[in-house]
Formats: sequence, C-alpha cells, structure tokens
Amino acid sequence: MNSMQNISLLQRFLTFTKVYRTNIYGVFLGALFGYIMSHAGATTYDYHAQLFLFEDFQLLKVFGTAVVVSVIGVFLLKKFQVSAYNTGAPIDFVTKPYKQGLIAGAFLFGIGWGMTAACPGSIPVMISEGKIGALFTLAGLLLGTIAYGILQSTINPDGKSTKK
Amino acid sequence: MEVTVWSGWIAGLAMGLFVILHFWLIGKPAGCSTGYGNICGLICKKVPYYHKGEFTNNKGNFKLWFIVGIPLGGLISALSAPEPWHLSFDMGMYNAVLPQTDLVKALWLILGGALLGFGARLAGACTTGHALAGSSMLNPPSLLAAAIFFISALGTTQLLFNF
Repeated sequence: MNSMQNISLLQRFLTFTKVYRTNIYGVFLGALFGYIMSHAGATTYDYHAQLFLFEDFQLLKVFGTAVVVSVIGVFLLKKFQVSAYNTGAPIDFVTKPYKQGLIAGAFLFGIGWGMTAACPGSIPVMISEGKIGALFTLAGLLLGTIAYGILQSTINPDGKSTKK
Repeated sequence: MEVTVWSGWIAGLAMGLFVILHFWLIGKPAGCSTGYGNICGLICKKVPYYHKGEFTNNKGNFKLWFIVGIPLGGLISALSAPEPWHLSFDMGMYNAVLPQTDLVKALWLILGGALLGFGARLAGACTTGHALAGSSMLNPPSLLAAAIFFISALGTTQLLFNF
C-alpha cells in the first residue's frame, strides 16, 4: 500500500515537472547565471570602476571570452541544426531589431551603469549577496521600466510593443 | 561583501557556455530586462504596454522565473565566500565619490537604476540581451547598443572619479 502511494507521489511529481518544466528551466538557468555573474566579479563594485578607469580588465576579459565562446557555440548550433531541448523545435536565433531610440536608450543605460556599477542582470545577485545599495537600484530600475511603459501606453496606445 | 572571484578567462568561458546552454535548452536567446517588464506588468495591471507583444506569457513565464532564479545562484556563491554572509552598504571605490549621506546615496542609486530601466526598454534590451546574447549572434543593432553602453558608462565613470 505504501509503495503504491510512493508511485502515485512520484507520478504527480513527474507530471508537475513536465507541466512546469519551462518555469523550472527558468529558475535553473537564472541560478546558473547568477552564480557565474557573482564569481565573474560582475557584482563587485570596484571591478566596474577599475574597468572604466583602465586599472583592471577583469570584466573585459570575462565579456571578451564569453563573446568568443558564444559566437563559436552559436555557429556550431546553426551548422548542425541542433533543435531546442525544451520544445524539440529548431532554435530561434531571433535578433533584436534596430529601433528608434536605441542609441538614446543605450546612452541613458550607460549613464545608469556608471552611476550604480550595476546592470539589470547583476542587481538580483547583488541583493542576494547582501549589498543594500542594489535594493535602491532595483527600485529605480522598476520605476524606470514602469515609466517607459506608461509613456508608451500614453503616446502610442494602439501600437504593438517591440517586435520579437 | 567579498565573494570568490574566478580568473576572467574562466568566468568568461563559463558565461559563454551559459549563453550556448540557454539557446539549446530553451531555443531562444538569453535576456534579463524584458523579465522586469513582466514584473512591472504584474505590479501595474493598468499599463497596457506590459501586457502585449513580447511581454505576453504564452509558453509559461520563462523570463520572470529566470529573474527569480538569479538571486538563488548569487546566494550560493555568497554563502561559499570566505567571510560570513552579512548586509552592507559599502560600495568600495564608489564610497569616496558618491554622496556621503545614506539618504542622498540611496536617491542617487534610485536615479541611476531608473536610467538603467528606462534606457534598457528604449534600447530594446540590456547588457545580457544586447551585449551578451546579441553579440553571440553578431547582430549589428546589438553590437551598436553594446558599444554605446560601454562608451557611455566609461564617460560617466571618468566624470565621476576625475572631475
């Protein structure tokens, strides 16, 4: 009787992981990303200052190596037409289009980066490391994102948001 | 607090492999800032912009759960650091150049964060979506955005520390 219950529990667990697998992959990949960001030094304030003051190039090494490795990886995934594990469908190498405001937006983003030594990907990591400053940066990030949404909804209420 | 930092080459290799793993597992490029749009959609039900287009949750809300996962990885890294986990408002080299009172420093960070959030949406993606995933596909608009991110942050940091 007990083993029957175990089997039914196992089945329910398997059904759960199947139904919610995309979300589970999300948490897993997010955690992996956060772990690497932390060990890469991307959450350490001084590496940002030192990079832009030309004193230490830790983050440039990380970024440069990551780009070289991932360019090769994307090339191989395309060449061998590897399909996505989650969906079985071909991998969608969708690229962000050039959009009006890209240059101005990137410029503002850079100022925010210089002011906070953080970016949207590093903020949750910094909070989990106990960096109180990142809580304020997160609050600002959400305010800025909401402000953009309100602006878009007001000036362009019928328009579609950015294409995929 | 101080965490253990790997050699830049090793961390870069790991980050590059992460980008490839993300493509293979999910079938889409990695990204961070769009997930914040989803969070804003949850907070503000009345902002239609965050309830359509790339912010709709058709296949499970992957991007939102990705953001939920990020601090878990950071916590594992922080707990394995030499010093015990603790809260800190210490900002290293920035202590000397940022406003000295905690209140003004907090307002400064909120302003900087707002520029990150607004700028990322205006540019279409952030350091992950443009500079990392976009560069891996050698997408010209992403390479342009990444270059401007760097130049603009460089100028801001130089102004902050040298003038």
